[in-house]
Amino acid sequence: MASIDLRSVSKLYPNGSYGVRDVDLRIENGEFVIFLGPSGCGKSTTLRMIAGLESISAGDLFIGDRNMNRVPPRDRNVAVVFQSYALYPHMSVRANMGFGLKMRGATGEEIARKTEETAALLGLGQLLDRKPAALSGGQRQRVALGRAIVREPDVFLLDEPLSNLDAQLRAEMRLELVKLHRRLGRTTIHVTHDQVEAMTMGDRICIMREGRLIQAGRPLDIYADPVNLFVARFLASPAMNLLPVRLSQEAGSLVIDGGEGLRFTVPARHVAAYAPHAGTQVIFGLRPEDIYEAPQGARTQPFALRVTAVEALGAEIILSGTAGGGTARPLEITARLSRHARVQAGETVTLHADLLPAHLFDPVSETAIARPSLRGAA
Amino acid sequence: MSADADKPPIARRVALHAGLIAMCLAIVLPLLWVLRVSFVAPEQSYSTTLLPGFSTQNYQALLSGRFGRSYLNSIVVSLGSVLIALPFAAMTGYAFARFSTGGRFARFLMLATQMLPPVALVLPSFTLLKGLALTNSLTGLVLVYAALNLPFLTWILMGFFKAIPVDLEWAALTDGATAWGAFWRIVLPVSLPGLAAAGVLGFILSWNEFLFALVLSGPSTQTIPVALAALQTSNGVQIGNVAAGVVLAILPLVVASRFIQRFLVEGLTYGSVK
Repeated sequence: MASIDLRSVSKLYPNGSYGVRDVDLRIENGEFVIFLGPSGCGKSTTLRMIAGLESISAGDLFIGDRNMNRVPPRDRNVAVVFQSYALYPHMSVRANMGFGLKMRGATGEEIARKTEETAALLGLGQLLDRKPAALSGGQRQRVALGRAIVREPDVFLLDEPLSNLDAQLRAEMRLELVKLHRRLGRTTIHVTHDQVEAMTMGDRICIMREGRLIQAGRPLDIYADPVNLFVARFLASPAMNLLPVRLSQEAGSLVIDGGEGLRFTVPARHVAAYAPHAGTQVIFGLRPEDIYEAPQGARTQPFALRVTAVEALGAEIILSGTAGGGTARPLEITARLSRHARVQAGETVTLHADLLPAHLFDPVSETAIARPSLRGAA
Repeated sequence: MSADADKPPIARRVALHAGLIAMCLAIVLPLLWVLRVSFVAPEQSYSTTLLPGFSTQNYQALLSGRFGRSYLNSIVVSLGSVLIALPFAAMTGYAFARFSTGGRFARFLMLATQMLPPVALVLPSFTLLKGLALTNSLTGLVLVYAALNLPFLTWILMGFFKAIPVDLEWAALTDGATAWGAFWRIVLPVSLPGLAAAGVLGFILSWNEFLFALVLSGPSTQTIPVALAALQTSNGVQIGNVAAGVVLAILPLVVASRFIQRFLVEGLTYGSVK
């Protein structure tokens, strides 16, 4: 059982570039944390530094109370599941799973017992004598997981373990990993670039970009209050609509003006926070799911959308269209409507936007303009 | 679509095959001729008849002399040098593949030894062995061949080790192995095809080596290439004996490559298949 504490951890490469820069993060004992970001953002490097597979150029890493900067991987009691699974090709499943115990000097009887138990837990009982080459992708994935579990490590480090599986198997394994975490209660870090995994699996998401930790928080908190345009774009699909608009003070109310009739009034709740920015250009962030085909009481405001494409996904409909901005440069807006909406490409429809969860961003610094969160203290 | 539609026109195929057959013959015919000469009585070696009788006379003559001894010497020297060089080559190759050991200079130095003309190395080797009283001994020859093989085998194995996904070693390290443990228990077993391929190439290199064997060996320690050269006597080239000697000389290579072909192909394509 162990917490993980990263204190201003950096990874500097010999060519002078940073792989990871000044990451400060505390992961509590038993927590399930997701490292999310595009490829090359430093999430895997951070994971490898925690595992001891890459040296730490600056800063300190603590697992539990112990400074791990110079401790070799074998003495950290962490287990890593790699994207490639990294099963030892010349060993049977049994030997693969038992390898860690053997290296730690467990007796033959103990290795056999624990291997059998873990194999049963993961449904690998029939496969123990096979070589990795004779297993399917999903089975290899389980063996890799089993090899990590059997050692009962303090920390599980999962480096994109689901990215080589097909969609259905991935969904199954996602659930299983969460169940497994609940059952074992070990501190777990899961690296991924898949936002669905990030939103559904972890207690907390840490979003990284270009080696820096951009935002860390509970999935729904980050979703509700992204700190900047990068997080706003990255966390959901379809991504948040980000529209260049003008914020102006008109007759006692604060107005978001996208031109050509695309006008919204800032909800009273946010006026105080946004008023200082009146008269400036801002980026208006509106999630596609905050757009409705019918008014939702007083909280929504209507606007006209010229529909250019309709994607019917079965459970929902994704509308793409343009609005405001003048005919030369109309604003592209994506809306996510229920499957009951009847809309065709080429039509102009009136939709209704909920402004309360929307955000405004500074176009220069790209950070969100602070306003009270709708999620209260959460 | 039928399979025929994909094939090139018949004229092109005929030309292609004719060319390939011609090239194969260019390689195979001399070997077949050597085989024929070796099994024909010496006086009929140059006969224009394709197969003027069958005789093992050449082989008997050859093996009644010192050739058998040379054969044994070659096996001892080739095997011995590979067995000594391979473990060192594996360790050096792994160090070069995974760590910055020695930097670029060490890697350059290793390649540079391969660029020296052998003649430049023969005399220093001779002086060294003389000082150690190892000239005209198989031990001396084994040591020199091991030294000659080492850079070559290191370079080949470095390629194999680089092709092994580093994840495997990382998995072993987090599983509790030391760096040596990861090398011994994971990297070496996984690179067995590469080791086998390198071993065969090293064996062939030593088996065919002539210059060092000529200078460093004596009558009782001469290897096959030297023994074959010795068949060129003042009475002319004993072509029948030479032919028989060549056939015997390539025999282990044929056998080795037949058995090791799978490993060789697997080993040489290790990185590209993955």
